[in-house]
Amino acid sequence: MKKNLQLVGTAVPRHDAWAKAKGEQLYSDDFTMPQMLYGKVLRSKYPAAILRGIDISKAKALPGVRAVLTAADVPKNEDITKFGQMRDVGGGFEGLYKVLANGKVRSKSEAIALVAADTEELAEYACTLIEVDYEVTEGVFDPRESIKEGAYVVSSEDKDNIVMRTKVEDGDINAAWALCDVVVEGDYFTTPHEHAYIETEGGMAWIDENEVVTLRVGTQVLEHYRTMAKILGLPHTKVRNMSVPMGGGFGGKEDMTVEMYLALLTLATRRPVKMVWSREESMDTHAKRHPEYLHYKTGATKDGKIMAQEVSIVMDSGSYTYLTPWVQMYSTQAAAGPYQIPNVRVQSVSAFTNNTFSSANRGFGGTQVNFAYERQIEELAAKLNMSPLELRRRNIVHNGDPLPTGFIPQGHIALEELLAKVDKELNRTPKPERLPDGRKVGRAIAIGHMVYGRLTFLHDSSRVSLRVELDGSVTLRAGVPDLGGGQASVLCQIIAEELGLKITDVHPYIMDTHLTPLCGTTTATRQLYMSGNATYKCVSIMKERVLEKASSILGYPPDMLELANRKVYLINNPLVNIPFETVIGHISNDGGELELIAQFNAPFTEVPDLADIKSRLNPDLTYTCHGVEVAVDEETGQFEMLRLIAACDAGKMINKNSCEGQIEGGAVYDALWATHEDLQWRNGITKANNFSTYLIPTSVDVPDVETIILESGGGLGPYGAKGVGEPSDNSIAPALVNAIRDAIGTGLNLNKMPVTAEKILAAVKGIDIEK
Amino acid sequence: MNTKILENEFEYSKPGSLEEVLETLATKQNVRIFAGGTDLIVKLKLGALPDMEHMLDINGVEELGKIETRADGLEIFAGAKLWSIESDRRVEENYPALREAIQAMASISVRNMATLGGNFCNASPVADAVGPVMCYGGKVRMQSKRGAREVNAVDFFLAPGVSVLEKGELLTSVYLPAPKAHTGHAFVKMGRVKSDIAKISITAVLEREGDRIASCRLAMGSVAARPLFLKAIGEGLAGKAMTEALAQETAQNISDFIKPIGDNRTTAEYRTDVAKVIARDALVSAWKNSGGTL
Repeated sequence: MKKNLQLVGTAVPRHDAWAKAKGEQLYSDDFTMPQMLYGKVLRSKYPAAILRGIDISKAKALPGVRAVLTAADVPKNEDITKFGQMRDVGGGFEGLYKVLANGKVRSKSEAIALVAADTEELAEYACTLIEVDYEVTEGVFDPRESIKEGAYVVSSEDKDNIVMRTKVEDGDINAAWALCDVVVEGDYFTTPHEHAYIETEGGMAWIDENEVVTLRVGTQVLEHYRTMAKILGLPHTKVRNMSVPMGGGFGGKEDMTVEMYLALLTLATRRPVKMVWSREESMDTHAKRHPEYLHYKTGATKDGKIMAQEVSIVMDSGSYTYLTPWVQMYSTQAAAGPYQIPNVRVQSVSAFTNNTFSSANRGFGGTQVNFAYERQIEELAAKLNMSPLELRRRNIVHNGDPLPTGFIPQGHIALEELLAKVDKELNRTPKPERLPDGRKVGRAIAIGHMVYGRLTFLHDSSRVSLRVELDGSVTLRAGVPDLGGGQASVLCQIIAEELGLKITDVHPYIMDTHLTPLCGTTTATRQLYMSGNATYKCVSIMKERVLEKASSILGYPPDMLELANRKVYLINNPLVNIPFETVIGHISNDGGELELIAQFNAPFTEVPDLADIKSRLNPDLTYTCHGVEVAVDEETGQFEMLRLIAACDAGKMINKNSCEGQIEGGAVYDALWATHEDLQWRNGITKANNFSTYLIPTSVDVPDVETIILESGGGLGPYGAKGVGEPSDNSIAPALVNAIRDAIGTGLNLNKMPVTAEKILAAVKGIDIEK
Repeated sequence: MNTKILENEFEYSKPGSLEEVLETLATKQNVRIFAGGTDLIVKLKLGALPDMEHMLDINGVEELGKIETRADGLEIFAGAKLWSIESDRRVEENYPALREAIQAMASISVRNMATLGGNFCNASPVADAVGPVMCYGGKVRMQSKRGAREVNAVDFFLAPGVSVLEKGELLTSVYLPAPKAHTGHAFVKMGRVKSDIAKISITAVLEREGDRIASCRLAMGSVAARPLFLKAIGEGLAGKAMTEALAQETAQNISDFIKPIGDNRTTAEYRTDVAKVIARDALVSAWKNSGGTL
């Protein structure tokens, strides 16, 4: 691996930076075509009902309405949910995917019928003319209720509501309690979380001149084209998504959104169709972070060695399975936190309800358990009369320590360094008891671990191709969905670094299902790890080829040559050199190959035994630490975040700006999750379905994020990089709530989200709001 | 409902003179005024104005966008944008509570569009900028083809969304009398995030005479069915020596007096509870701002 890096690690501007800064980037909604129709989804009025009949005759008769479709019109209305995996993993993991509702309606947002019409207004109006005969049923909205025997069954296809049960166990939990001097126990609740991307779901579809169903839809998972082909009864070659950059994904565009509806409508009308969801439709409809009900019991010796932890988790899957089993694996595996606890038992169950379905959301099951275990550690420290920092220091995992599943993470574990750095920065001045205005000051630190790379039993892979042009510039082709995180640009940076070029010499053509090699999903914090490694592999072969050719021209062995400044140099005498372009010309003249494709495979494992997981589930983990200082007004319960320190071991930064951007963005993403962001679900209805009712922080609601980036070099990505996208929103929520706890001196009312000013005020007064 | 679409169709006009505006108001049916649109467009998107037939944009009338100094005060016309009010030196010097209330409202982009006239005509019980106008003794001026009239700001509101504004009538300006010497002000708002609608707000404007309160006016938002002017409690402070204890006692009286409801922003109990805190803080800082000491 190259030692003297010129470009990697710098804040070089991304290839798309100017277009985005100037507002010239085109997104899904910016395209139009002649003869284009507008598509619209009719959604269920009720969260729980039985569909007795649908009369579309009036809608269909309306002039300007070109198609009205129901489940009966879909060639294959049911399939299993897939998320781009190359391997069938089968039972328990892949649930039912239904295009349009039939039988029982499972949630208020469920799609019942599709309309295509000449204008958006007309499509909207036609939906009101569709007569749906509902038999409204009771429904169930709390997974703790829905797992009970005799509960209302959400689906027409299952006998009960259970999606999955799983367990991780290590040591002897029953015997371990006797070793503990102190035990804490608590119930936690984490709220569903909205992704709140600026761009709602949308795109368009048409049939091209060769009968290919073609889409231009932003998605995190290009590979959905396979499911689409299956549902439409077409070969995989006849469904193509030439995707576009997204205005944010955060997991919300990991499930299929508009793709299937657009394809059906364009096939039914043989005209281009566009569909873009309104904000309300988006928030009512797309998946949310799983609400989790968690019970934790943790025991330690009086000198602060944690001996035992028992966890039970009930997850709300909502109306369908989607990614629930996978999120559940993440929650279950991460539940005991980055601590070395000899006796652990984690049991989890997920179940259907008539709420909006749950699926991927940045953090993927890691953030929920992180909130609970870091709150638990804080209360344990209080009971032990020990500083929370010291308690963490005494129990964190180090290199070589196994997870409760028995797997020993292979990358570096930087928790010791992260804790020290954040503590030093947060406490650079002694903490005042109060601010001059009388508000109490609180400080706290929380840590987290979050995997990067997909579940290893999915047998994940990525491939990219590059072509060196005859003028020495490079074309990168990569099916990498770009959500705005710079997923494509880092690949250019790796190529430019290795070939001694400028980043502007490399241009990426990305995210086309059939014209770019498939990189796999932009999910699971995997693109830098997977496609970065594929790119490194690919460019290394090209580099070797260039050095060999230069060697034959210059008459020095390849290992005495290096690539820099668009030239090949003799290392110990830079005056001896040859332009990169000239070398490429020679390779071309001699019939050498200037176009390459390379594939990187993650580690592969077998599907684990869900009843007792004892194996590797992921490639590696990234470690984070957040420090927060707050001021709390004890008379009103209102708090202000004064400082927010976000620290992460990135392994190696590839693009400094993008890396810092992820870590800052991650901190803000979940900064107010625990306290403010509340969808106000009431019996299956999302009361807060727009941004005037669902509150996300603006720049004045969070302080400047102070980022601390460690570069241990201990990751499995290129140059020792780790993934940072999802880990960076881990550990901020408990850091904030623990800082509030530090300020008010009690943990009362702080375990169940949303932790509002009202609850904090009650805590200050000593009122337990549950009693 | 699709909030990308305005459900009803309507006529739109943007006259260049006040006469034409009043003429349109008198002759057209179901007219709604577009000043900044930050409430109107949202309501249209939500389908809350199914009867609207005409949107009357007053931004074409130059005089309606002005802020004019009068011999005895300041006149803020209906189309003046909130940003122009908050950045006006005369407002900053003489009506700081109004400036603070405006700066506590929404986001910069909304304030670039929204108007003070709109904040009144929307007649929300939560309206932030209304309390300061009430407490500065402001008046609301209205015109129609029938003529002009003026009401005290405290008498403008009748019920949620309902004001004394009659059919065919346009709110033309909000008039603020010149403040007297030793006037102190305070505006306190509590929201969940910065650009939130208030959970509760209070304005206090008082005049000081030595160590006594010469007069005091208090108003609250989000505690009643309309912006609440606390007439009796404010008048009861006249002539009293200002102390911490008086501030506490008055705040308790206010908390006992109001009968707020709970909604999706907070509970009735919380509003009653924190009213004590913000009322005390407002009185104390208004007193200090008037040059008084405690």
